[in-house]
Amino acid sequence: MTIEEQIRDIVARITRVDKSIITRESTFKDFKADSLDVVQALVAVEELFDIEIPDEVAQKFQNFGDFVSYVESKVPQTEKV
Amino acid sequence: MPLEGKLALVTGGGRGIGKAIGLKLASQGADVIVNFFRHRDAALETAKEIEALGVKAEIIRANVGDAAKIDEMFDTIDSKFGRLDIFINNAASGVGRPVLELDSKAWEWTMDINARALLLCTQRAARLMEGRGGKVVSISSLGSSFVLPNYTIVGVSKAALEALTRYLAIELAAKNVCVNTVAASAVATDALKFYFKEGLAKDSHYVTPAGRMVTPEDVANVVAFLCSEEAFMIRGQIIVVDGGTSVGLFAAAGKGGE
Repeated sequence: MTIEEQIRDIVARITRVDKSIITRESTFKDFKADSLDVVQALVAVEELFDIEIPDEVAQKFQNFGDFVSYVESKVPQTEKV
Repeated sequence: MPLEGKLALVTGGGRGIGKAIGLKLASQGADVIVNFFRHRDAALETAKEIEALGVKAEIIRANVGDAAKIDEMFDTIDSKFGRLDIFINNAASGVGRPVLELDSKAWEWTMDINARALLLCTQRAARLMEGRGGKVVSISSLGSSFVLPNYTIVGVSKAALEALTRYLAIELAAKNVCVNTVAASAVATDALKFYFKEGLAKDSHYVTPAGRMVTPEDVANVVAFLCSEEAFMIRGQIIVVDGGTSVGLFAAAGKGGE
């Protein structure tokens, strides 16, 4: 499973939407996510990949694609299968 | 120094009130373990400032809302130090929404971090204090007793924390562990800035009868006292640090004394 697929699973679970509707252009607002949803998604991704996503960075994510790209840049290449 | 040789763990110790508490305990000689969850850089900076006071500091990451992570944190402390003298239950989170917009997810998130963590952490801390005694101090807020706008879940979680403080204080008294809580009115921290941003409060609400807002250091001073042997006979109490706000609720109009 790719990093993008794993993050998509997390976001779908937390925001309770079907993962098939989450595209790289999707935003949390599209799923009516609240601030707790966003924090929980960040925490789940941080723990899954053992990385840290500073709030200042997360606040600049424009969409799901930005979120994925940032995580990909922080996870060692060998885990990107 | 009164806390020389003591080892303290401060949850949420990288920023705000937790940072001030860590620095205060360190200034009195305690080595400090700074727990953090999502702000490693702040925790590292705090640890650096603590070490500059001539004591040892460590940082340890754990989400105290997660029971398994609490166990991992205390397993690490147990294997590395094998003891703990002071546990400060400071980490907090919350969801600011009107009552009718609250859901079970927001409830569980807030209660787990703000209230359950005191129970689970103290259970583990008490084992590390076995045979040597110890101090447990939590941080609460006036929202446990008074209604603040959009503060329901946090207020309720702090009320649970305060009730738990009393039960822990009695059950752990025989083990020579003192358990108390410090409840503050709004404190000038990043967390309060969050509430401003969310439109939950205006800063003018927080000027106290003492003439200014409560600072993290005001809270830390009382926490440090509760961690001293001079506070040995204070058990299961909620010590309010609010510049008189809570007792002056009905005095504002009359400016009593003038």
